[in-house]
Amino acid sequence: MEATSLGSGIRHALLIARKDLTEFYRVRPRLVTMILFPIILMLLFGYMFPSSGSVSHVPIAVVVQDQSPQGLAIAQRFTYLAQSSGLLDVETTDSLSWAQQQLIMNNVYAIVIFPRGLGAQLSSGGGTVEVILDQLNPTLDSAVRGEIAQIFSQMDAPAQISAGFPASPGTLDVVFQGLVPGATGSFEFLAPGIVAMTAIVGGLSGLAMTFSRERELGTLDGLLMAPISRLSILFGKGIAQIVRGAMSSVIVFVISVALFGVKVYGNPLLMIVVLLEGILAFTGMGMLFTSFVSDQESAQLIIMMIQFPMIFLSGALFPLLQLPWWLRMISYILPLTYVVSAFRAEMVLNAPFSAIAPQVYGLAIFTVAVFALAVPLFQRAVTR
Amino acid sequence: MSYAVETENLTKAFNGFVVVNGVSIRVRRGTIFGLLGPNGAGKSTLLRMVCTLLRPTSGRAYVEGFDVEREPNSVRRIIGVVQEKLLLYPVLTAKENLELFGRLYGIDGEELRRKVRDLLEEVKLWGFRDRPVGTFSTGMRQRLNIARALIHDPRVIILDEPTNTLDPQSVRWVRDYVKGLKGRGLTVIVTTHDMHEAEELSEELAIMDRGQVLDVGPVNELKSKYHASTVEDVFLELTGRELRDELSGRISGRGWRRRRSGPGSATLS
Repeated sequence: MEATSLGSGIRHALLIARKDLTEFYRVRPRLVTMILFPIILMLLFGYMFPSSGSVSHVPIAVVVQDQSPQGLAIAQRFTYLAQSSGLLDVETTDSLSWAQQQLIMNNVYAIVIFPRGLGAQLSSGGGTVEVILDQLNPTLDSAVRGEIAQIFSQMDAPAQISAGFPASPGTLDVVFQGLVPGATGSFEFLAPGIVAMTAIVGGLSGLAMTFSRERELGTLDGLLMAPISRLSILFGKGIAQIVRGAMSSVIVFVISVALFGVKVYGNPLLMIVVLLEGILAFTGMGMLFTSFVSDQESAQLIIMMIQFPMIFLSGALFPLLQLPWWLRMISYILPLTYVVSAFRAEMVLNAPFSAIAPQVYGLAIFTVAVFALAVPLFQRAVTR
Repeated sequence: MSYAVETENLTKAFNGFVVVNGVSIRVRRGTIFGLLGPNGAGKSTLLRMVCTLLRPTSGRAYVEGFDVEREPNSVRRIIGVVQEKLLLYPVLTAKENLELFGRLYGIDGEELRRKVRDLLEEVKLWGFRDRPVGTFSTGMRQRLNIARALIHDPRVIILDEPTNTLDPQSVRWVRDYVKGLKGRGLTVIVTTHDMHEAEELSEELAIMDRGQVLDVGPVNELKSKYHASTVEDVFLELTGRELRDELSGRISGRGWRRRRSGPGSATLS
């Protein structure tokens, strides 16, 4: 077998990437669409959101730090009322850090903390319960906040006392706050999702489209007849898609920050890592489709069929909790779901690496698997 | 004698559908070899195997002694291909197209600049070098397509239906240019279903039908063998006079089946 050196392989890949980008730049409608699409998308959702939605069985964590009989009784009463509400599902723990991690990972949407010494405080007249909300999620935020406030207001109702729960000896204050200090708006939920989505979706559709276009034009034969590695062609086109995806995400990101006041709390390096991982994973998926699709129209149709449901099921545009359980199950097998949740957790919630590590490692494994499948299939497809 | 292109029982089948069936041809160095056949005869498939775009199902093919399957990059370095479809990027300029392909073939710097200029002047397109190819007429595109195939100084050039859809002036230019290539020592393989073109250009001719070579030899020998005054008469004598309603491309979907007994054809059931 003949071998080409790594250096010449990279040089050829860059040459093809440059050619692809030049072509892309030259076709003005394509260039204008690339710039306008994210702008329109952002303006549209920025002004339209939040929208209303019906939710139920929202998971929340109840952290019981006070182990006194009185503290336990109040926590138990809250749990009973919350479970009866139909809106909330309670998970009880004594670890605040665990609960915070669950909030970052979107496994729970609020934390109710019954702090140490609460029982004693109540005996002497009044105590405070702290509620941490996932304020990035507007629909859930208002629903959960209202429900929790209502439960606390019912704590001393006669019906509850007659149900066997003792009355609170003192006044119970409830303090609501977000996980990240400072005000967070509804758009902060949406912006990271759109950044991730815009960057990634191009990798999926762009690669399959560019290959099918070259196949139809006949120009792919020109590349295939040159004495270069097939992988140089594949990766050259992949690089061009990654550059385009990165450009789109930068545009969305700048608009989010400049026009809609979205704040970045997380580690920029981790954000870039998550985004690049996502772009790579979806470029790999694009390569996979490229192996099966020969013409532009088919590529467009197949990608539309996959792309749009994936966008809506990924949690990029609205909370997954708004989906019925069976659709939520589908969303959990979509890689975009993990890119969006990790990117959002990092950008707005300043999640530590350990909190997004499952998504980061999972995406890395997925990317390697997709490339391992896509590369030989592509090579087979171009030399039938 | 060594040959520029040699095939031995070369066969290509797509999902059991035989398109090229045991073809053996030998093309002498520095000659123009014509491949004549009706649509769907398997000419293009045969040449796509020779230029490494398709992997043979069985048999062997060599270009200047290099095995197309085992040494594809060596074959690619010495072969130039002009297809009916233009292997050019419409939004790139004429110069950029040639520079791109030149670089892919490892040519760079002053050598590349000189070659691009020489070729564009040769095909009368130097004045249009900075215009996007998409704005070119069909004739201009085909001339540039030929220049692209020559950018790396190939030893063998394959022209697959090079004059299809061209106006008479462009046809004349292409035919004269092809004759000129032989004068430079290149081996030329031309496929066509234009009898006059085949007769005018070819020194040796292979007539293909249904994936097989029916006969091969110098044009005059073929004419005398079949007592024919023209190549067209030889062609009709070998391939018959009935109309060919051949189906091409991939066949799928309900109501279609493949007829395996006759390679290179399919029928609607």
